[in-house]
Amino acid sequence: MCYVACREIEINAVVVAPTSQHFLEIDERCTYPGCTVCLMYCPAEGSIVETATGRSMVPPPPEVWTKNQRWPRFP
Amino acid sequence: MHPILRGFLDKWVYPTGFIGPGVDFRLRQTERCLPLWDKLVLQAIKAAGTDLASGSDEYKAARARGGYAAEGPFMSLKQMSTQILSVEISEQPKYIDLQRMRARQIWDEVKHGQLHADVMLRGGFIKREEDLMDDPRANTQPKLSYFGMTAMFPHIHPLARAGQHYYNESMACLGIAATLSVIKDDLIRHQLHSQSAEELMHFMEGKYQIDAYALTPADQKPIEEVFDFLLRPWAPEPSRALGGSA
Repeated sequence: MCYVACREIEINAVVVAPTSQHFLEIDERCTYPGCTVCLMYCPAEGSIVETATGRSMVPPPPEVWTKNQRWPRFP
Repeated sequence: MHPILRGFLDKWVYPTGFIGPGVDFRLRQTERCLPLWDKLVLQAIKAAGTDLASGSDEYKAARARGGYAAEGPFMSLKQMSTQILSVEISEQPKYIDLQRMRARQIWDEVKHGQLHADVMLRGGFIKREEDLMDDPRANTQPKLSYFGMTAMFPHIHPLARAGQHYYNESMACLGIAATLSVIKDDLIRHQLHSQSAEELMHFMEGKYQIDAYALTPADQKPIEEVFDFLLRPWAPEPSRALGGSA
């Protein structure tokens, strides 16, 4: 779900690694903490970690989905 | 509200990546779901307690047979594959991610069937998975609102299925969490833990579809109608839905 959400907003920072296990990776195109949209649709608890602090971002803590961080989505 | 539901809402339902009519619509539908979600948690806890008090291992087999009927290869391939048909060729570019998620779900559901078969095998209730084919209890499930409507939803709208993902898969997540809070049996816990992450993925699919795609009244209406159906008190009971009193 995270790479689907990321692709939908045309950032494309979440990529499928070309390894046999196809892990998902986040590259330098990620604008976190400006954008946090992928965190809201990730169903894998503990799978995304904030590098600076080591804290888990899934499920997302309230401070990463404040109103000003959400993407406008209108027809 | 039961703490299991409260935790589910805070962790998975309310965090939102977008602002807009899709999110607003989903949160309105969520309010409609809350009473039944809460009721499900209580019922699952009660059922697990009844199972434990039975003094027999038969409850493990009954759960596995029911699970196999609902998620085994027979049901999963037949019902889930029709999801793919909901998107016409001309709409494939628009909904390609949705199609991929649904293709993945077919695999997930069949795998869940194997988990139930594993309970039957390792619990010593059957010798071979094929034995389940001879048992109607492992091949019939009575819920209209489960995958039984899958054959209809695709013909309504590409996004209609989102209502079922959001409502039914949340029920799966909540039912699993509630059962795990009571039953400590390794066989049951293995099956539930192995299944729970994928159920949450399916719920997220519904959440994402509604937030990201259900942006106009025209797109919201068919999803809302699915909720209208699923929230009917008779939806899990076909005999009542068809006019009977049982």
